Amino acid sequence: MIEQWPGSTPAWCPGCGNFSILKTLDKAIDGAGIDRRGLVLVSGIGQAAKLPHYTRANVFNGLHGRALPAATGIKIANHKLEVVVTSGDGDMYGEGGNHLIHAIRRNVGVKLFVHNNQVYGLTKGQASPTSDIGFVTKIQTHGVILQPFNPLALAIIEDCSFVARSFAGTPEHLLEIMAAALRHKDGLALVDILQPCQSFNKVNTHRWYRDRVKPIGDSHDPFDRDEALRLALQWGDEIPIGVIYRGRRKSFESQLPALAEKTLCEQAESV
Amino acid sequence: MDLTIRIAGEAGQGVQTTGNLLAGAFARVGLHVFATQSYMSRIRGGLNWFDVRVGDNEMFSGKEKADVLVALNSDVLDPLRHEVTGRGVVLLDGAGSDGVISIELSKTAKQLTGSAQMANTVAAGAIFNLLGCGLDELCDYLSVQFEKKGEQVVEGNILCARRGAELAALIPALDDAPKSSGAPGTVYNGSQAVGLAAATAGVKLVASYPMTPATGTFTVFAGLADEYGIVVEQAEDEIAAINMVCGATYAGVPAMTTTSGGGFALMCEGLSLAGMMELPVFVLLAQRPGPATGLPTRTGQEDLGFAVHAGHGEFPRALFAPGTPQQAYELTRRAIETAHKFQTPAILLIDQFLADVQKNAPPLDTSLRPVDRHILAEPPDDYVRYAVTPSGISPRALPGTGPFVVCDSDEHTEDGHITEDLNVRMRLQDKRLAKIEGLIAEAMPPEHYGPSGAGTLLVAWGSTYGPCREAVDILNAEGKSAAMVHFAQVWPLAVRAVRSLLREGEAKRVITVEGNATGQFASILRASGALDEHESILRYDGMPFTGEGIAARVAQ
Repeated sequence: MIEQWPGSTPAWCPGCGNFSILKTLDKAIDGAGIDRRGLVLVSGIGQAAKLPHYTRANVFNGLHGRALPAATGIKIANHKLEVVVTSGDGDMYGEGGNHLIHAIRRNVGVKLFVHNNQVYGLTKGQASPTSDIGFVTKIQTHGVILQPFNPLALAIIEDCSFVARSFAGTPEHLLEIMAAALRHKDGLALVDILQPCQSFNKVNTHRWYRDRVKPIGDSHDPFDRDEALRLALQWGDEIPIGVIYRGRRKSFESQLPALAEKTLCEQAESV
Repeated sequence: MDLTIRIAGEAGQGVQTTGNLLAGAFARVGLHVFATQSYMSRIRGGLNWFDVRVGDNEMFSGKEKADVLVALNSDVLDPLRHEVTGRGVVLLDGAGSDGVISIELSKTAKQLTGSAQMANTVAAGAIFNLLGCGLDELCDYLSVQFEKKGEQVVEGNILCARRGAELAALIPALDDAPKSSGAPGTVYNGSQAVGLAAATAGVKLVASYPMTPATGTFTVFAGLADEYGIVVEQAEDEIAAINMVCGATYAGVPAMTTTSGGGFALMCEGLSLAGMMELPVFVLLAQRPGPATGLPTRTGQEDLGFAVHAGHGEFPRALFAPGTPQQAYELTRRAIETAHKFQTPAILLIDQFLADVQKNAPPLDTSLRPVDRHILAEPPDDYVRYAVTPSGISPRALPGTGPFVVCDSDEHTEDGHITEDLNVRMRLQDKRLAKIEGLIAEAMPPEHYGPSGAGTLLVAWGSTYGPCREAVDILNAEGKSAAMVHFAQVWPLAVRAVRSLLREGEAKRVITVEGNATGQFASILRASGALDEHESILRYDGMPFTGEGIAARVAQ
């Protein structure tokens, strides 16, 4: 069963950026030599959150916005598992915003891939926390007036241990970033993945992103917090992509005395 | 014979420290102890008191009036001096007034040790002398209690206790003081009992957000964490707490959360997730009066109906409601076992009264005896998480042990993947709900106390056990035949056993006793067909029932 599970047919729209993200994630996982029996894909609700159903892995597809606390519980219970969260901008930056803040503070060893298309897809086209000002929807009929949420700047200010951005339309770059995130061993890795929504975002299209994303040069030192913050605040004509920031942190699980010898799960077995 | 000593003062004056000291020391000399607390939601000021009832025999309830009132300031005299029995005495720390005996607690401590901090030990010495208890035994207790703080602290305390006894020697000793009767020397409150039971049952993650009156148990876990290898995590909110618990149980670790009504309200979606994903989630719900923020530090039994129905959609659950700290220990374990056996949430309902009540009990077993997690040792390659079985219980495997373990909050297929096939929906929902029959088959029958065929039958659940039990004793002593039926499992009900117990002997009066305004448990009993005509005694002012209070209302 484990070898044969083909994944069910994705419920995504034709041309959705999620296909590229899924394909790249699979490559990154296999490229990193991760044993899928020890891989858990955790998600909440939304189109991005359906991803775990379309590949081979253990799956915890929980509640809207609550992927991070569930992933935290899984990592505490068995820190030998590779725990990857796949989420969207509504799920992670809206409904789950409080958990994002505190997961960064906690610095739990979870890889967090946020498919950010600046719009709500599954509920059919309302504004998301990352929608640009002026973005018109069926609900925000006069255009969005709320300041867009900046996940990268927030993460840098909270000293997140790994902060990156990529674009679903440049799969090679995305693979490189996902691979770097999977290699990251010292806590939470946040990757914000820009992604067009074919159905509901007619402004931030594939072309819109393609014309703006610009890989960060090799000269950038990700441990330089001021420079990282400057890059994170850039949005508009030019959008930097790449590993923007690395905080010098210890992972949450590495500091728990109860996990020093064995996983909690192993300890639960042992009497 | 029993006496109630009431220590009263403002928050921060050492009411609790003095009360704890007395409860522990009286138990150490072999007296039965039943201690309760009343406190306000503030850090300093206000009016708090701590009742320590000591007796020759086991007690199950507090009393309305005190025999000894120790007033740590004169402000407490007005509200509390009329709540003293006829034979009682009032001691005041500081200058006295009419009918009040002055005893310099703080000043004495300051003179002896340079700080007023040990005034509570002066008070303990005075009370011990007043009750004719051996001071050497109090000093032994203090030596053990403060051993870790060093010789100087031990000596200071002993000095204060002896001086306290000397001060009280001028006061006539109380008649009929209870005599040591070989009561268990250990004292537990409900919070400690729940914490110890969960730790020994193998709970390895406690994720909670602090909320009175559940914080006591959360704190107990922090104290047990190193010894039992428990991760105690203060979550950013109750939603995070229950979702962490869901994640941890998915990965195979017994996990739980502690909360009160408002926090539990936030957890409801997560509880429903545990029902859908079939996770053995355990929740301690320590009740306080609502609605909304209500009375944060008071007691009540207002969340029963809420807990029975909490969470959207329909899924099985088990609810336990212990009556004593010792029963809280037993039922915590049973709840965790039930959650694992049936792979569904279990909830333990306590309240501020039971969380804080201190009572002697034989030493509780502290040895680690993990509950059976019901995990497949070697899951087959074609394993699916939600295999349909007649009992509704699917073989459980853990991620990382072989085949993929796929769990979804959406309706799902037997292999755990999202589906909108409505036939599959029916099969899987029927499978989950089939577990209810198993839960009913294992439900605990209620306990009967008192003479069979009694004319009056009190029906209690949870923490009203003790006060109802004492009411039964009082009524029978007065020649009015009364008995009690107590429910320690409140959902699902062992309906047949319940019916036969409630109908047995056909009591003339059936009276339900509950700490809420609407008779929530009576509604459940009526809906189950186990209860017809009945009266009810309800209390919802935030204070606990007492045996004498219930007996008086029965007699009315």
